[in-house]
Amino acid sequence: MAQTQTAGARPATFSPRRILRQRRSARVLSVVLFLLGWQLLLPVLPTALIPAPAEVLGFMWDEIRGDTLGRTTVWEAFAISLRRLFAGFTIAFLIGLPVGLLMGANRWIDRMFKDFVLVGLAMPSLVWALLTGLWFGLDSGATIITVVLAATPFVIINTLEGVRDVPRELTDMARSFHVPRTHVIRHVIFPSLMPFFFASLRYGLANGWKGLVLAEVFAATSGAGWNIRYWYDAHRAQGVIGYAFFFIIFALIVERLVFQRLSNRVFRWRPSDDVGPDELTAKELDQYGVAAGGDVAM
Amino acid sequence: MSAASQTTTVDTTRSGTSDGWRESRAVQLWLPRILGYVVVLGMWQFASTQLVERAFALPSPTTILQEMWEIIVTGVFWEHFYSTIRKIAIGYSITFVLGMGIGVLMARPWADAFFRDWVLSIMSTPGLVFALVAAMIFGFSPLGPITAIVITSFPFVTVNIAEGVKAIPKDLIDMGKAFNVSERRRLRQIVIPFLAPYTFAALRYGFSIAWKIATLTEVFGSSSGIGFMIRREFQMFSIAGMLAWIFFFFAFALLLEQILQTGMKRYFRWRPEAMV
Amino acid sequence: MAEIRIDHLHKAFGQDEDKVIALEDVNLEISGAVFVSIVGPSGCGKSTLLNILSDIETPTSGSVSITQDGGKAKIGYVFQAARLLPWRNVMDNLMFVQPERDDAARKRCREYLEMVHLEHTVKKYPAELSGGMQQRVGIARAFAIEPDVLFMDEPFSHLDAITARGLRRELHEMWKATRKTVVFVTHDVGEAVELSNRVIIFGKGGQIREDMTLDLPFPRDAADDKVALAKANILRRFEELDLIAR
Repeated sequence: MAQTQTAGARPATFSPRRILRQRRSARVLSVVLFLLGWQLLLPVLPTALIPAPAEVLGFMWDEIRGDTLGRTTVWEAFAISLRRLFAGFTIAFLIGLPVGLLMGANRWIDRMFKDFVLVGLAMPSLVWALLTGLWFGLDSGATIITVVLAATPFVIINTLEGVRDVPRELTDMARSFHVPRTHVIRHVIFPSLMPFFFASLRYGLANGWKGLVLAEVFAATSGAGWNIRYWYDAHRAQGVIGYAFFFIIFALIVERLVFQRLSNRVFRWRPSDDVGPDELTAKELDQYGVAAGGDVAM
Repeated sequence: MSAASQTTTVDTTRSGTSDGWRESRAVQLWLPRILGYVVVLGMWQFASTQLVERAFALPSPTTILQEMWEIIVTGVFWEHFYSTIRKIAIGYSITFVLGMGIGVLMARPWADAFFRDWVLSIMSTPGLVFALVAAMIFGFSPLGPITAIVITSFPFVTVNIAEGVKAIPKDLIDMGKAFNVSERRRLRQIVIPFLAPYTFAALRYGFSIAWKIATLTEVFGSSSGIGFMIRREFQMFSIAGMLAWIFFFFAFALLLEQILQTGMKRYFRWRPEAMV
Repeated sequence: MAEIRIDHLHKAFGQDEDKVIALEDVNLEISGAVFVSIVGPSGCGKSTLLNILSDIETPTSGSVSITQDGGKAKIGYVFQAARLLPWRNVMDNLMFVQPERDDAARKRCREYLEMVHLEHTVKKYPAELSGGMQQRVGIARAFAIEPDVLFMDEPFSHLDAITARGLRRELHEMWKATRKTVVFVTHDVGEAVELSNRVIIFGKGGQIREDMTLDLPFPRDAADDKVALAKANILRRFEELDLIAR
């Protein structure tokens, strides 16, 4: 519920009730309650292997300061992983875009490869990680190849959908006004492709990230995924849980700051209750019986 | 007016609308598809015979099928399959109850703000992370995969249910109220049927996640199950074995998807899209 | 006999600077088998009045009582959009609002479906019916509970002119046969004149500006002089009351 600001309104009340009602408090409260619950439930939990929140937070703080017992600090680790991610995704994009365009434009090509794209969409990244690990061995770009394998189907399917969904009535209208082709591409086709381009970015990167992290576990000696595995092998619980939180925080930052902001800017013209690019493609994918749009866990 | 002018003979031996086999609908649909399979499988078979060096060991489709057959015949399949299924069943039931509960709550803005960060971040975090934490905490106990399943799949159930609850059509509820229809009947006849598709979506998405996480957690923290077997084959460098188990995993997941889908189609006959 | 009493009804939305007065001091008495039309420009509060009468909204002040022979009255409602449950077939839609869902109810539903000539659609889903048919199902649904009072909120405004015309005739036949109290909200003066024996004009700001009886014989034909005159009179009254934007 929006809080209306009226000029010369009544003096702001600092009642605890009112502050508690705000959304921001809800967010903060949930974290506080989580940590509290964790601390309190510690003696009651079925296993002795869970560290106290203080230990984990301490570990995280050390890592952030750059003081680490691992091979690389958390900053370096994520940086390495991100570099691999972008390298892989660029390739995925270079492959997926033309294939998607072709499949969208030509029915025959579409039917030929559709099943395989679907398989690719539903394939858990574990599979790619293991396969590339076996094929290419350690530290040889298996990670980047995993990203390519994991992300390409998403780029393809979203591009495909984008091409299919170019609004006929608008292109027909443009033709009836004899609008030159370049103008049509710039002002009609390109903007209509934007939500799909965006979705391909989003899902391709998300799935690529999952695959990358897994590949780093099986076939790398550095990176965020490798780091968490390092702590797991060393049986250091606060390391594993600490890194888990790093991953979660990373995901939050990317989701909230990068994607939200970006989509708000790119889709300024959309009425606010219009379907966003994510739901759009998730619904399209749904008809293929593939829970691929929402599937970002593996 | 008489048809005295020259008439062209019409070849009446052709049937229906097609001008020939090339244009028939079935051919249009299936030929490219089959071609696609032929091309890909052919390339695969070829590649596997050509690239035999260890680094690129690629078992042919036939080898993998043989492995799969072995696995079924020796009974190994059932033991591990059952192990995995059990964890999924337990984990997913908990997920569903939890997810529905929180989903209904999240329709309200305050609860939404409370849970949103968690839901969002869990959905965007690699499942590996939760699998490792669970494996580490619970060791080889089945609690590990179950916990991992609950944590990773409940956001999907939640999000779908919350969407549904937010979208409940007020005009239909008002109509029910205007006619003095009891709250119970309104719930049963309006709310629940309306939420059904959202529930189904939640089921499907959540389930596909549950499968994957269960298997992944087993890779790290289990002594039985499909994931465990995949890991074993991986450690023994047996690509054929690994792929065989992966195909089983895949086949079953797709089978369940299909069942859910056909179930959905029958249940939602009333939809305008289905009417055509 | 059904009786509707509205006493000093007041409805406002919002607070202070944002306050919007939807209804202002509405006083009204309707009783017997009358067909009352409420006409007015958009935003004059007619829909709000109906919402309050059917208990979907609460008044800010004032009282409303709808009684049948002193006791609680049964109310039927027909909406602008049919508001059928899309996932139930026609018969189930009618049964949904029946207080008792027994065989007698089923029989009643079937009878009223016959009255709107839709007995052959019992098993169909709303998506399979045209807009006009859906609206007729909505009308049958309201009639099938055999209400003492019937509220209708611009039920034909979403339909094309030809379908609406047919439905108006059907509605009139049903009213004649069942002799209910009908409160009919519309922005179409012609429609009001064709169907009702009492017309209430609402003005902007939610007050009653005029309350007139129409004593012409039924059935009424728009082409008839007297009917056309009545319509013209009402429209002129609209202008006099400054209700038509110029």
